Amino acid sequence: MRFRLLIGLVLACGIAGAALGAPPDEVVAVVSAKSSVTALTASEVADIFLGKSSRFPDGTQATPIDQPEESAVRDRFYSRYTGKSPAQVKAIWSKLIFTGRGLPPVQAADAAQVKKMLAANPAAIGYIDSSHVDAGVRVVGRP
Amino acid sequence: MSLARNWGGLVLVALAPAWAFAQEPPPPVTFSAYGTLGLIHSSEHNADYLVDAFQSNGAGRTHEWSGAADTRLGLQLTATFTPRVSAVVQVLSQQNFEGSYRPIVEWANVKYEITPDFSVRAGRVVLPIFMVTDTRRVGYANPWVRPPAELYSLVPLTSNDGVDASFRARIGEATNTIQATAGRSDSDFPNSGGFNAGTAKVRDLTAIVDAFEWNNAVLRFSYGTAKLTIDAQEPLFAAFRQFGPPGTAISDRYSVNDRRVTFVGIGASYDPGPWFAMTEWARFDTHSLLGTKSAWYVSGGYRIGKVTPYATYARIKADSATSDPGLPLAGLPPQVLPTAVFLNTVLNQQLNLLPQQHTVSVGVRWDFARSAALKVQYDRVEVAPGSLGMFGNFGPDYQPGGRANLFSVAVDFVY
Repeated sequence: MRFRLLIGLVLACGIAGAALGAPPDEVVAVVSAKSSVTALTASEVADIFLGKSSRFPDGTQATPIDQPEESAVRDRFYSRYTGKSPAQVKAIWSKLIFTGRGLPPVQAADAAQVKKMLAANPAAIGYIDSSHVDAGVRVVGRP
Repeated sequence: MSLARNWGGLVLVALAPAWAFAQEPPPPVTFSAYGTLGLIHSSEHNADYLVDAFQSNGAGRTHEWSGAADTRLGLQLTATFTPRVSAVVQVLSQQNFEGSYRPIVEWANVKYEITPDFSVRAGRVVLPIFMVTDTRRVGYANPWVRPPAELYSLVPLTSNDGVDASFRARIGEATNTIQATAGRSDSDFPNSGGFNAGTAKVRDLTAIVDAFEWNNAVLRFSYGTAKLTIDAQEPLFAAFRQFGPPGTAISDRYSVNDRRVTFVGIGASYDPGPWFAMTEWARFDTHSLLGTKSAWYVSGGYRIGKVTPYATYARIKADSATSDPGLPLAGLPPQVLPTAVFLNTVLNQQLNLLPQQHTVSVGVRWDFARSAALKVQYDRVEVAPGSLGMFGNFGPDYQPGGRANLFSVAVDFVY
């Protein structure tokens, strides 16, 4: 009886510990599993999302996909990969828009739509919480 | 307003049906807008502080508080016809040489992307003279209420009718972009600065810009050359020429008629995120009455959450003489002597319009909403002895070489 209680306690603590100790969802940069891109540095990802580069390092075209403004995953993505606040990112894009040098990335409604758009376009790159990663996508970058 | 300034409107009209009535799939057309509501106050009550030579009035003598320096609205349509062909039309309303806010077509061009890194544009394109020339009107994109006026007033043009080509190359982790431009422009200006009102005609313009970006650092070099004509000055030089060889020599030296002008600028910026620093130096040589001037600034800021305090030091100086002995008066017949004295006085007044001043600015930007920022800025302008500084619309009691305190508040937004 006592022994069982002890096991129960240990298990409970273990589960609680796992829950507490688990890292919060990480934002990862993802491409379609069919893409030729395998790994990117944080700064390569940043350059694609800030309009500095329209290609992957291997020379193939890169089409970035954003998540909605006001979404936590978007703010975390830009903060971790580019070190910039939402306002700074907006300022950078307003420079590109109003000089006719580019338009900001297309916007997906959520992680599921990001994955759908990646499946439809091997040139696309997006970001999602690591918990949404599945077999259809390949993680190419972590902050 | 010349015809050349308005033709871009035709492009706007021509584009509209193309997307409004297109069958599926409609070519994506994006609407964007930017704007600033700004007010500026100057402690100098005997003259207007003029940020830009094309504005007719400002704060100081004409208005206690003026919205003219910074208030503007820009609307832009970007149409993507095919993955390679797109067009941009931007209409801008801000105080102009007449003192009205009549909209003008700032940019209207068609872009063809030969590759994702090599594109050509034709139409009215940006003239990328300084680091933030292409976004100097977009307050939201800049940390300050306005780009440092000493440097950005050197060449106040922002657009050019012609072509440009941009080539971007990836060098390891760095990006190098070369941009070359050729074209012409006409810009009307008021007489607020002391010159007669008229049109600055820029012809045979060519410019090249190289920007090297590595991580958070940018190094930029620009060079441009053109032929400048300002007809409004011609009566003065016609009068000088009546005085024989000495008058012709003065006229040849100073007239702004098909005059070769050159521009060179270098800039650097570093923006790792929590703070930024940037500096630029530039020199504009007109070989004419407009003289040779150079300017530089250094600016930096620190971001604390949504609040960014910043400070700037900027200076403009004349690199050519701001006075001239003019026509030799000895031996002139008494009946033409007063004319010669008058012409010499006018010549020297105009040479002395070369601004010489420096400004210390401190301000703060607050990103209070996702697409809007509030800025307040204090500038202490110190005009060099004897100079009129960057002022205009002078009252009779204006004293050259003074000091002025400017206080500005602005709300910027983008859509």
